[in-house]
Amino acid sequence: MSNKKNNQVSRRQFLNYTLTGVGGFMGAALIAPMVGFAVDPLLKGEKSGDFVYVLDVDEITETPQKVSFQVDQTDGWYESKVEKNAFVFYDSNGDILALSPVCTHLGCTVDWATEKENEFFCPCHDGRYNAEGENIAGTPPTEPLHEYTFKVEEGKLYLSPETHARGGA
Amino acid sequence: MQKGKGMKFVGDSRIKVGPKQTIPKDYSEYPGRTEPFWPNFLLKEWLVGAVFLIGFLCLVAAHPSPLEIKADPNTSGYIPLPDWYFLFLYELLKYEYAAAEYVVIGTIGIPGLAFGALLLAPFLDTKPGRRPTQRPIAVILMLLAVTSVIWLTYESASAVNWEERAEYSVANMTEVEVDTDHAGYEVYANNCMSCHGDSLQGVPGMAPELIGLPYDAEAIKDIAQNGIGEMPADMFSGTDEELNQLAEFIVATNSDGEGSEGESSGSESSNEGEDSSE
Amino acid sequence: MLNKIYDWIDERLDVTPIWRDIADHEVPEHVNPAHHFSAFVYCFGGLTFFVVVIQILSGMFLTMYYVPDIENAWESVRYLQTEVAHGQIVRGMHHWGASVVIVMIFLHTLRVFFQGAYKKPRELNWIVGVLLFFVILGLGFTGYLLPWDNKAFFATQVGLEIAESVPFIGTEIKTLLAGDPTIVGAQTLTRFFAIHVFFLPAVLFGLLAAHFIMIRRQGISGPL
Repeated sequence: MSNKKNNQVSRRQFLNYTLTGVGGFMGAALIAPMVGFAVDPLLKGEKSGDFVYVLDVDEITETPQKVSFQVDQTDGWYESKVEKNAFVFYDSNGDILALSPVCTHLGCTVDWATEKENEFFCPCHDGRYNAEGENIAGTPPTEPLHEYTFKVEEGKLYLSPETHARGGA
Repeated sequence: MQKGKGMKFVGDSRIKVGPKQTIPKDYSEYPGRTEPFWPNFLLKEWLVGAVFLIGFLCLVAAHPSPLEIKADPNTSGYIPLPDWYFLFLYELLKYEYAAAEYVVIGTIGIPGLAFGALLLAPFLDTKPGRRPTQRPIAVILMLLAVTSVIWLTYESASAVNWEERAEYSVANMTEVEVDTDHAGYEVYANNCMSCHGDSLQGVPGMAPELIGLPYDAEAIKDIAQNGIGEMPADMFSGTDEELNQLAEFIVATNSDGEGSEGESSGSESSNEGEDSSE
Repeated sequence: MLNKIYDWIDERLDVTPIWRDIADHEVPEHVNPAHHFSAFVYCFGGLTFFVVVIQILSGMFLTMYYVPDIENAWESVRYLQTEVAHGQIVRGMHHWGASVVIVMIFLHTLRVFFQGAYKKPRELNWIVGVLLFFVILGLGFTGYLLPWDNKAFFATQVGLEIAESVPFIGTEIKTLLAGDPTIVGAQTLTRFFAIHVFFLPAVLFGLLAAHFIMIRRQGISGPL
């Protein structure tokens, strides 16, 4: 008697497992391509942009100059020219620095020598950076302004649209 | 059942406290081998569904969904075509008494009558008998309607020149960069563009594309003057110098197309490169 | 743990009868394809619903890339189809699903018709079903425009002219659909998008719910 009952239960369980299996198969077959479709931006990875001519090296001074340059941007199906800004100058070691004006705190745009002489200032939360673009302790930013990758060829400065954190600076 | 004073609820809600009545209703209405919906019957349905899904995915994988060239209201000679399930309505409008001054009959009259009758079928066919033999009028009308829909769809579809339509498909589209500064471009614009399109892409139903031509400059000059196939002679009017420029332009555009495609797929990882390799 | 959560909810909301009613109702022999092969005709309704689910899911995902704008619509469709992972499959599902759902709903309607299953007491469910058919056709018509290719543009223009031929209010209907009395353009596309993605699906959900609730209430029609 009890044996028979056990059999009945296991038959129902078997049906339930099969049902879940078939349902899982259908769900997976349907959803798998759609998930791939949705996460495509992750699969694409980052594209490295081309270097763009910005200005001649002999125009660079020790005071940061705000320069703007246009990069071709392909955003999915939308292709456009986007204007980017950079502060270009020689740092105290005499090396070229091309800093991104994007504040490392929350992404506002900083400007040179607006609030205080020889400092970058971000108006959003009073973030301050010294003349080398390093964040001043006690103000909101937690790291120096990011830097553009650049190259110099035949006395001309070229910037890549990508920025990176300043390692070791 | 407890009623009135004896009833107890969960909190101040209207849900009754106590053991619930979850025994399903007795479906002995149709004696026979009934079985519970879950899991027995649903499993069978899902097996059918899984087979159906596999078939559907095969269809999807085998036939990429079509995309034609971007909408251009100025495309001349384009014959509009609705999706296949509207073809019967579209075809209906081609008949004499369903078009022109009678168009209302074709657009509203006949479809309205048919779909109205479909909507109100339970009130038009009110006798209790359910077998098709017990309601010949309804069944015959439905068979007539289905036959005519299938017939109209077939008529409409068979009248379509599918090969010509395929020329509008993106898959058959080749793009080349046209050098508008080339000396021959202006000659091309004056003599050829009206039929062969502004970037040599051709106009479906009118003139073929001028990309990937098997001709050299001399042959192109000859065709421009004397025509070929359906292209009449004397389409070109101008000086010999212009003719030379034109031939150079067409040859240059052809070779540019090949060249730049090869370069871009090699040097850049941009979208263009992927396009050409696909 | 899960059982306790369930009991806690059940005590307050009394949900057990709802799903027990769906899960445990007896399915009669005459609709069971395992007993009578001819009973496969009863699958058409379920398969229609299945394809509708595919349409809803694939449509939701397609809107991640699609823009209803005449400048970008075509480019976005082309991009999602050629550049995005599985884009061809997901758009293919939506494109072919649209055709398959029409075929299935047609077969389902014919099954119900020739079996006389719309007769008393199931008149209301038939009407809801025919309305669902209309909604699906409407979804097909409005969805056709969205890729903004030549085929879409010209077919919609014809469709709008047909709407215009309606006596007395034709011009108004056309203007309402197209968003402009003469242009088939930017406003037409956004309108069709809104109708295709929000208005008709909302109606579809309501009608589907009514359709299913009525089936549960009345049970499936008996054998002939």
